Amino acid sequence: MFRLKWLVVMVGALLLSSCAWFPSVKEPPYQLVKTWGGKGGTPGLFNEPTGVAVSKSEVFVSDSRNGRIQVFDLDGNFQRLLGDAGTGKLERPMNLVVANGELYVADYFNDVIQVYTRQGQFVRAIGKPGAGPGEFNAPGGVAVASNGDLFIADFYNQRIQQLDAKGGFIRQWGTSGETGVWAGEFNYPTDVAIAPDGTRYVADGYNDRVQVFSPNGDFSHKWGGPLAMNIFGSFNGWFATVTGLSVGPQGNIFVADFYNDRVQKFTPEGKFLNAFGIPAQGPTHTAIAVAVTEDGTVFVADYANHQIQKWQPSE
Amino acid sequence: MGVNKLILLTTITLLWNASLLAAGTQYNLRVDGLSCPFCAYGIEKKLIRTEGVESVAFDLEKGLVIVKVEEGVALTEGQLKQLVDDAGFTLRSVSEQPL
Repeated sequence: MFRLKWLVVMVGALLLSSCAWFPSVKEPPYQLVKTWGGKGGTPGLFNEPTGVAVSKSEVFVSDSRNGRIQVFDLDGNFQRLLGDAGTGKLERPMNLVVANGELYVADYFNDVIQVYTRQGQFVRAIGKPGAGPGEFNAPGGVAVASNGDLFIADFYNQRIQQLDAKGGFIRQWGTSGETGVWAGEFNYPTDVAIAPDGTRYVADGYNDRVQVFSPNGDFSHKWGGPLAMNIFGSFNGWFATVTGLSVGPQGNIFVADFYNDRVQKFTPEGKFLNAFGIPAQGPTHTAIAVAVTEDGTVFVADYANHQIQKWQPSE
Repeated sequence: MGVNKLILLTTITLLWNASLLAAGTQYNLRVDGLSCPFCAYGIEKKLIRTEGVESVAFDLEKGLVIVKVEEGVALTEGQLKQLVDDAGFTLRSVSEQPL
């Protein structure tokens, strides 16, 4: 009798955890509205897009192997290039963000954060190569707080750095050069996003999870597969290398799930809501970065097809 | 006419030999997980900054990093293994061929 009771408890616990680890879709599907781009070097074409950001009226794309940012209107009409020549020339731009009227770009090869006006004028470069405070080894993404502080995913240094607007070191999360799977440790972090209330979301790339830190910097929670400890997979709520993320207009979190060729949408607490994407046809993948406008339109940098995807929620 | 042909042939032969002598080496590195640019760019960044490396390219279908070095430059397997390790990967195999 005693054993039977425990068996029932264990089966019940397993069923409950299964529900938590294999959640169902909670919303109507997103619709692919349009795509634009294709492989090439002329304006409007891309060679390996790796980042996307939005302002109220424009889309900014890291056109990585072309070493430039391309700017489009929200319908994909080409507007201008920036970072393609002169001071502030980009080498390998990755995740980027529009904040406080400026464009911040993680430059993976130059080991700096390049800052431009939205019109394309170079403003300043933050950081330098290295592993010390305020230095970077392949920055993958950047977020900017309302007070101007920067949060940088310092990919090969296995940490998130917080710098002031001039690049002065404030603090870091993670141990420089050391990977880890416990809370507050990282395994090649790729991007950071900040919610309006100051909560920080980290794309913990090869740990296949999102880590969340409160506005005061304390670890809050994490999600991504069972226990969010580097267990990858293609089920809803699981990841296979997280390469970018963005906070949506209602505070929901949109995550680029690279090897699964999709964007997944979660509540701020990490509850799975939805997933959408284009299956890959070749050896590489179709969803490397994501940005969301105020009306909920989602733009995805499609690395494999050298294009931008535009998605909208169903009515 | 015969002398002219001889001079022409000699010139072509000399130029051909010179181009062969000036050619470098191609290394084909087999590495897993290249389809993610965060990874591939990491390897590319380390290799392209190595003295004597002229170009780095990827064959994603075959999982290969193709490294071309200039004449007189030789990369050892140990060197390549270290570079790939530093980029967060494991080097599966290396082959080389003259260019």
